[in-house]
Amino acid sequence: MADLAHDLGHSEHEGLGVENRKLAMWIFLASEFMFFGALISTYLLFKGKEGLTSPVPRELYDIPFTSVSSFVLLMSSLTMVLAHNAQGRKDQPATRSWLLATALLGMVFIGGQVYEFSTFVHEGMTMRTNAAASGFYLLTGFHGTHVLIGIIMLLSLFGISRRHGGLSDANGLNLELVGLYWHFVDIIWIVIFTVVYLIP
Amino acid sequence: MSETAPTQAHHHPTPRQYVQIALLLAVLTAIEVGLYYTEPTLGKLVTPALLLLAVIKFGLVVGYYMHLKYEKRLLTGFFGAGFILASLIYGVVLVAFLILPRFG
Repeated sequence: MADLAHDLGHSEHEGLGVENRKLAMWIFLASEFMFFGALISTYLLFKGKEGLTSPVPRELYDIPFTSVSSFVLLMSSLTMVLAHNAQGRKDQPATRSWLLATALLGMVFIGGQVYEFSTFVHEGMTMRTNAAASGFYLLTGFHGTHVLIGIIMLLSLFGISRRHGGLSDANGLNLELVGLYWHFVDIIWIVIFTVVYLIP
Repeated sequence: MSETAPTQAHHHPTPRQYVQIALLLAVLTAIEVGLYYTEPTLGKLVTPALLLLAVIKFGLVVGYYMHLKYEKRLLTGFFGAGFILASLIYGVVLVAFLILPRFG
């Protein structure tokens, strides 16, 4: 009877052979492609337009600085996957350390973005300067917001783990879901860095 | 963690392999930046090269860090469908507004 109840509970959470929340996260991330696709396309439509008021984003990019930011975000994906790995081994102190490291790297990235935005504004490029600038701030700003939400989720997991002496199995799944979200934010930045910053 | 986690964990890369992938990602990023500065020399070759490197980095993160390589195909289907749909829709938009006008 207990086995039957367990099986029923199991099928309730894994109707398609994948944990429902995990499936929902993957579908959510898939839908995010549409969201970021719209923002990237909008920027690309305006970036080469003639007759824009100067300065346009391309004139102000600091590629070495943004490259370092990109490296930081890539490394945060490493620390995130190491947190997931540590959770799988039930190594709670290591899980907490890697979660905190990921959040800190995310904060460094956000700090870099704040610095970049303030420099651009100081150079005279605001949201209203031209359509390319609006597209740039909208795209990178929304990406930054995603990073910020990720940091909040990471710190929440860190807090829960610290308070309860570790993450339960349920919270272990939450860590996996947060990890998926975090890596997604990273792959979106891979696209933005190439398409927006590097491609002429 | 779901009940399937221990089985999946068996197939997942080791921490050492995760670090190796991170190093590869860092090297690819360095090559991208290098290509950016060689644009005046290489000209139009830079764009496809940069796109190729971005695709490789994208694949490494999705496949190994997000473990899609080790997950059920259903997830690859959903995720791939979202990516392909967005690429097609916005690809058509960009072709219509950026490339077609050049041909009058």
